[in-house]
Amino acid sequence: MNHRMNRWARIAPVAVLGVSLAVTGCAAPGGQATAATKPDTGPINIASISPQSGQFSSLGAWELKGVKLAVAEVNAAGGINGRKLEISVMDDQGDPTVATNLARKAVSDGAVFVFGSAMSGNTLAMAPILAGAKIPEITSGSSPKLATTGSKFLFLNSPPSTVFDQTLANYLVDTKAYKSIAMISNNGSYGKGEHDAFLAALAAKGVTPVANQVVTPDQKDFSSALTSIGQKKPQVLFIGAEEVESGLIAKQARQLGITAIIAGGAPLGTPVYLNTAGVKVAEGSIVSTPYLGNDTDAKTIKFAADYQKAYGEAPEFHGAKAYDGAEIVIKALLATNGAGGAKLAEAIRAVKYVGLVGTFAFDQTGIGVHATTIAIITNGKQIAVK
Amino acid sequence: MKKYIGIAVLVAFGVLLPYGLGSYAIHVANVAIIFAILAIGLFLTMGIAGQINLAQIAFFGTGAYASAILTTQTGLGFWPAAVCAVLAAILIGLIIGIPALRMQSHYLGIVTLGLAVAFTNLVSNSSFTGQAQGINNIPGPTLPGIDLSSEYNYYYLEAVALAIGIMLAAFVVHTPLGRRLRAMRDDDLAASAMGAEVPVLRMAAFAVGGLYGGVAGVLYAGLIHFVAPESFSLANMFFLLAMVVIGGRHNLWGALVGAVALTLMREALVNFATYAQLAYGSLVVFMVLFAPTGLAGIPSRLRSLLLTRGSAGPDSTRVAAYIPAPSLGRGLHAPAPSAPNVVEVDGLTKNFKGLRALNGINLVARKGEILGIVGPNGSGKTTLFNVLSGLYTPTEGAVRILGDSAARVAPYRLSLRGVARTFQNLRLFTRLTVRENVMVALDRTLTRWSWRYFLWPLGVWRQDRGMRVAADALLERYGLSDLADTFPTELSYGAQRRVEIARAVATNPEVLLLDEPAAGLNGEEVNQLRLIVKDIRASGVTVLIIEHNMGLVMSLCDRVVVLANGAVIADGLPAEVASQPDVIEAYLGDSSLLDLPTTETAGTP
Repeated sequence: MNHRMNRWARIAPVAVLGVSLAVTGCAAPGGQATAATKPDTGPINIASISPQSGQFSSLGAWELKGVKLAVAEVNAAGGINGRKLEISVMDDQGDPTVATNLARKAVSDGAVFVFGSAMSGNTLAMAPILAGAKIPEITSGSSPKLATTGSKFLFLNSPPSTVFDQTLANYLVDTKAYKSIAMISNNGSYGKGEHDAFLAALAAKGVTPVANQVVTPDQKDFSSALTSIGQKKPQVLFIGAEEVESGLIAKQARQLGITAIIAGGAPLGTPVYLNTAGVKVAEGSIVSTPYLGNDTDAKTIKFAADYQKAYGEAPEFHGAKAYDGAEIVIKALLATNGAGGAKLAEAIRAVKYVGLVGTFAFDQTGIGVHATTIAIITNGKQIAVK
Repeated sequence: MKKYIGIAVLVAFGVLLPYGLGSYAIHVANVAIIFAILAIGLFLTMGIAGQINLAQIAFFGTGAYASAILTTQTGLGFWPAAVCAVLAAILIGLIIGIPALRMQSHYLGIVTLGLAVAFTNLVSNSSFTGQAQGINNIPGPTLPGIDLSSEYNYYYLEAVALAIGIMLAAFVVHTPLGRRLRAMRDDDLAASAMGAEVPVLRMAAFAVGGLYGGVAGVLYAGLIHFVAPESFSLANMFFLLAMVVIGGRHNLWGALVGAVALTLMREALVNFATYAQLAYGSLVVFMVLFAPTGLAGIPSRLRSLLLTRGSAGPDSTRVAAYIPAPSLGRGLHAPAPSAPNVVEVDGLTKNFKGLRALNGINLVARKGEILGIVGPNGSGKTTLFNVLSGLYTPTEGAVRILGDSAARVAPYRLSLRGVARTFQNLRLFTRLTVRENVMVALDRTLTRWSWRYFLWPLGVWRQDRGMRVAADALLERYGLSDLADTFPTELSYGAQRRVEIARAVATNPEVLLLDEPAAGLNGEEVNQLRLIVKDIRASGVTVLIIEHNMGLVMSLCDRVVVLANGAVIADGLPAEVASQPDVIEAYLGDSSLLDLPTTETAGTP
């Protein structure tokens, strides 16, 4: 009895293993074949792979809203020569391993194009798979590393953080001649990129920051870092952090009597920053951003109105750049008549487009927007510096 | 036979699987295999060695990062980098294992969890790990004639690694090293008293975790070509933990099934991640509460449930009579006064903070003597045994066993020198069978003997087979053959006492310390015990026996030492000692000595 049960205990899991693997086998047979054949009729499959759950889910949600808006518009206008675009939404959970699984899934589902990921790391993880399958992707990430993959299929829908910070450093040091600049940034993916890029931009101008404090992305109290910054009495305080954290840092800096001008990247131009810091604190902040707001020209006004209608909320930078990315892909698909592969990648690179976040002209590294604008927050609005 | 058919089917299935899979499914299978290898590592560290290790994901990360850094930054080839990366992961395993030398159970869990967090912080902040942005463009492995950039071919590379991993794990678990690890998991004190080097074994457990983590990490880097801190996050550690807990942490197949099932489930539920997380959490809680042995443990739990319903309880009446050794006469008496001293205790004092448990004890035991140690509760008898077996270090005084000092000598060293003991409150290895309990004690090697696992596995196998034969002979003699495959918890109290003695004898001792061996035994069992102890002595072993059953003490011991309040108050022949007035006074209120029963009673009151 004992022995027999022991044997069963050994064999039963084997059976379970077999059945479970067999089921997966049946679930997605011949993925390779599907990817190879390109039907010229019927809907065109594009995938959105981004974090829809977990810590970074808001990035994924913003991106998806922008993409969906553009796709809905083209589908309403007749699609790509009569063929509708269909988005498969996939949640990479902010985990690179899951992202690579999903990239494979998109390949075997026969997607001609992938949006995402909104996280630079996940984009880097997926890049070799998508390049191998000749599927172009547009990422909402802005890590400078994205431009170093050597992939001809990877495109960025926003300037890399180096461009943001170069523009900012030019303005602060060359135009305004500030010499005493303090830095505070977090050691997360975004904050770290900002830290390195801004520091490098300053170093190129021979400026050394008077303070260089690093905090963590989930920190809420910055008094220790800010006190040490305050003692240096800087003219400018550079913040390299996401929206909410930037707002908290700005607010606490003022509470500690730091009067320095606050400067930073795109997060400082968002309503989230404005609300967290308060209009009074945010007043006069210098922002390096490709997106000045929802009412700068006819294009942004129309986008903001459509976005408001579709989602019941005002758009922000992430949604806007995702919308631009989708518009570019749609133009490219119209050019290739729905074909994907290397042809689509070339078509994307060929698109010249004035969008919400700037003028797109892709170079060989996949960067499309090469400049940002300097704006100063005045009465809660970003006003471009002429 | 069925076992081999099962394995053959599994191998055939593994070989044929890629033919049925698309490019997506094969990638998922490749990821599943990596998690399965990781799960085996966690199974060995946690399920076999009992070390709560929540840093397995850091070993994984070390393997992946080391391989990434070496290939992208130093230009090393994939394979040499892989070897270095696995060694690095083992090293990290050893470092993370250091706290296990000082703390165990949930404390160890908290510390290792902290170290796992430290790992992600380290790689997020160090410039050589690419910080939060990770390392990309990691080259994959190459083999002459095989294109490993194809995930189908990569699958076979991983499958070979997994198969070797499974075989190594199964081999370790069922041979001396794994048996010692399991013994340590069940009771580290008893394991050390049976000759297991607990600190070395704990480090070995973490090193094994590092080995599997490192291999998984290298395969991960070669498959994904990218590493970033998020891949080695706490969320993934808990995912891995859930695999092992749900599958069954004490069963290799359970851990594997858990790993494969959860990887597939995560894939199937990828667009419902928030709910899936809740589901994993609930499933883990459910399993811990209702099926603590996991999926793999369910069949045996059902079986025992059916058995307890069917009969009155576990069948424990099968202890057969002890078979006396034929060549040695029963009538052998106390050794000659000229016999050498085997145990010498000189002015031994042991303090616990303010309490003086032993106060200047002097005693000797000669070779082949049966020395009774009696005294009221709290007089220091068990403390004395704990010092003699190395569990306590003396505060003052000298202890010599077989001529060498035994103070401040680790229990396993004393065990190897020839000191064996039983415990007052049974300390059998509860998840080892009776035979395995004895085999742990039969193992007289140091843990470093384990190098043979890598260089001469046949030697390990032979040694194991020899130990099995020896164990079966011993069990036969102790009337335990029918119970060889049962677990101690299924046995009656008397049977468990018998197994404890058999286990102690298996260490082939010179000195045997029996701590209340008759407690809870019935009359017949006490008679058997007397026979056993006399036989043990007849083979030349010195026996020290703590006992409250004065009938047994009077009829068995050559000499009796009486302790009271941590001091020796009498030392002499049983009859002389029993009539001393201060002994009687010390025992006032404990009528057993005053009554001096001449027939066997049913043990302690």
